[in-house]
Amino acid sequence: MIYYATSILLILIGMYAVLVKKNLIKIVIGLSIVDNGIHLLLIAIGYVKDGTAPIFSKPGLQASQMVDPVPQALVLTAIVIGLAVTAVALSLIIRLYDHHKTLNINKIRKLKW
Amino acid sequence: MSPVHFIAIPLFAAFLIPLAGKVSKELVKIIPGLVLLYLSFVSVTLFPIGTHHPVVEIIAGFKPPFGITLYYGAIAAFLTTLITLIGFVIWLYSYKFIIREPIEKYYMLFMMLITGSTGIVLTGDIFNLFVFFEITSIAAYSLTAFLRDRDGAEAAFKYLLIGSFASTFFLLAIAIIYANVHTLNLADIAVKIQDVPVTTRLFVLILFLIGLGIESEMFPLNGWAPDAYSQAPSPVGAVFGGIVVKAAVYSLMRIIFLMFNSHDVLHFLLVMGIITMLIAEMSAMKQQQIKRMLAFSSIGQMGLVIIAFGIGTEPSVRAAMFQMFNHALIKSLLFFSAGYLVFHSGSKKISALDGLGHDKPITSFFFAFGALAIIGLPPFSGFWSKLYILLSIADAGLMVPVVLILISSIIEAVYYLRVVSRLYFYKEEATDVRRTPVSGLIAMGILTVVILLVGFYPNLILNWMTPAAADLLNKASYIKFGLF
Amino acid sequence: MRKVIAILLLFIIGYYSLDVLLKIPFGESAGGVGKHYLESTIKETGAVNSVTAIVVSYRGFDTLGEVTVLFLAATGLGAILYDKKAKKRALQNASVIVKTSSKIIYPLIALLGAYVFVHGHLTPGGGFQGGAIIATGVLLMFISYRSFETNHKALSIIESLAGMTFVTIGFAGLIYGTSFLQNILPFGIPGELFSAGIIPLIYIAVGFKVGAELTALLDNLLKTIK
Repeated sequence: MIYYATSILLILIGMYAVLVKKNLIKIVIGLSIVDNGIHLLLIAIGYVKDGTAPIFSKPGLQASQMVDPVPQALVLTAIVIGLAVTAVALSLIIRLYDHHKTLNINKIRKLKW
Repeated sequence: MSPVHFIAIPLFAAFLIPLAGKVSKELVKIIPGLVLLYLSFVSVTLFPIGTHHPVVEIIAGFKPPFGITLYYGAIAAFLTTLITLIGFVIWLYSYKFIIREPIEKYYMLFMMLITGSTGIVLTGDIFNLFVFFEITSIAAYSLTAFLRDRDGAEAAFKYLLIGSFASTFFLLAIAIIYANVHTLNLADIAVKIQDVPVTTRLFVLILFLIGLGIESEMFPLNGWAPDAYSQAPSPVGAVFGGIVVKAAVYSLMRIIFLMFNSHDVLHFLLVMGIITMLIAEMSAMKQQQIKRMLAFSSIGQMGLVIIAFGIGTEPSVRAAMFQMFNHALIKSLLFFSAGYLVFHSGSKKISALDGLGHDKPITSFFFAFGALAIIGLPPFSGFWSKLYILLSIADAGLMVPVVLILISSIIEAVYYLRVVSRLYFYKEEATDVRRTPVSGLIAMGILTVVILLVGFYPNLILNWMTPAAADLLNKASYIKFGLF
Repeated sequence: MRKVIAILLLFIIGYYSLDVLLKIPFGESAGGVGKHYLESTIKETGAVNSVTAIVVSYRGFDTLGEVTVLFLAATGLGAILYDKKAKKRALQNASVIVKTSSKIIYPLIALLGAYVFVHGHLTPGGGFQGGAIIATGVLLMFISYRSFETNHKALSIIESLAGMTFVTIGFAGLIYGTSFLQNILPFGIPGELFSAGIIPLIYIAVGFKVGAELTALLDNLLKTIK
């Protein structure tokens, strides 16, 4: 319950930063927060009460005691995708800073909308 | 022969290009062409099989819904062929057009974009769809900023921000779907989603509409498109209009027809399509820059396609597919010729094009040809698809969209003919000694021939559209083959 | 004004997503495909780590896409920040303590990274995690030594070769088996290092690739343009 609420809250905080903040770097931080919120949500969806990690490292571990491994696998992929987007965003910011000498979104003409 | 070639071969080429670059610069440029030629060969062999009976390719040897599947049905056959064809022409055009370093990276990004968009079209798994969507988007962001100028970086950043929102909503939708039905296979979801509460389904639908609507250029989520189209290099504009948007619209329609097939959803699409079309065409009217005008026109055309999908009958879906085919060809031709017109006139402004029709007759001819074709004049191919869309809407008994489409066609005619008249009927003394390279002319020539051919024999394409429309509309057969 | 609209919009999104999410039972044992994966991981893939089995085997195609995304980021960054006369951003030289200790730690970090990706099918971890660990080692060197340079040519060759290995393993499955990325090697004894067929091979390729790519990414971001 609280896990869902927290991850949604995290997503909303990130989106607020993207919508309201004027600094390009802060916007990208906001995007990362949104990503993390969704990753946490996915993990929460896969949670099983008193479950262990889905690794059969010892004999005697039962499949029914383990958390759902699928969301974890999805999160692994989603993290890499988030990283890639962040990297491209940062490189674009470097370019923008190079042209405008500012990170303020209001001083960059086309980004106002 | 397996459909996995469409995804794996361009990917392999993208990994190979840096190594080839160590050997020779020329090899870097040739490899993508060879890959696309090979893919068209694969297309030709697989096309008849796929349209006849869907080929479901299992990845890693696990039966669906446990493994990922590729679904090569009639519609995927058609779209992969279209992507291959447009990709090949774009490669031909880029051969001499992209002269700015790093050329190597351009072709790598281009190859991965092809991988991503064929992946979107082929995959039968919703999370895999998300991954390919991201591949396509990130390649598109990077290509938008390829010229590294100020406006390009701005347009790319704007595109990236909106695109990230799209992927967030998409991933949220996947999370909610997985939490409810515990499966990721599209066909399996289509079966199990019927038991999910209505409010949940509605919310997921909205998330998908936002997530995929952004890439499909649906109103009001298309703010990125004009900037990205106009600031990216011209062949990349053709990539967006001819490949990325088509793949995105297809995936949106596939998801809607599989999971949320109801009249209300289709009506909503219809209304959104009409709004998209009207606003885009009116904005195109006001544009001063030729590539921005083409971008708005592209949005308007996608609005038309969405309207036709929104009718949801068999003839209308067929006409929508036909329109997608025509639009991909014609818009590529327009972007190609506009690219060289901008290059020769030295300015992106429409007013700088005065009299280029006399100075650069061949390129201008191609532009005029494309303009007439996209307005929908006979005997060009654009005429038939528009006609079929109008007929199918009239058949469904809706007269208002017909009138609105006709009005928007008139607007379209006005702004395109304004450019064409500037090309031919204004006098400008300055001449540009640089010539349009032959490879670019061949690329435009191929498109022109195909447009004319389809214009004279529309049944060549339409015959293939019938199984494609059936493939999209027949949910039961998708589930049957997708889960076998 | 903008803030008010943003808050209102976010409130609506938050309300409806919570409304939808609260209908989902929380903490119940895995159902659907998750259950099947847990029950048949060892039988069908030979790996004891189900997450790895899903990432590399059941949903191996996603991982191929994931590798592509990272490669794409490195390529895109290279294209956007391309500059013929790029120079290293002037960093402050670190103190002797940091310099000396990072020299000692660096090979250990690289070793840990290699350990993590080689044991991906047995323990938590895998190619991406291992590659990221290796890249942090390089980052440490970048921070400590102003003059630390990576071999760009070698990095790009590693990236390409590792990527091509992945696709080739995929095609080997198609040629010698029935489908792309199919496990064609024997599974071995579950729990041993040499087990789980192609999973360790793929993860080693991914580990090298991710390590090289993240290093290239850092290198690009550290450069000045113009």
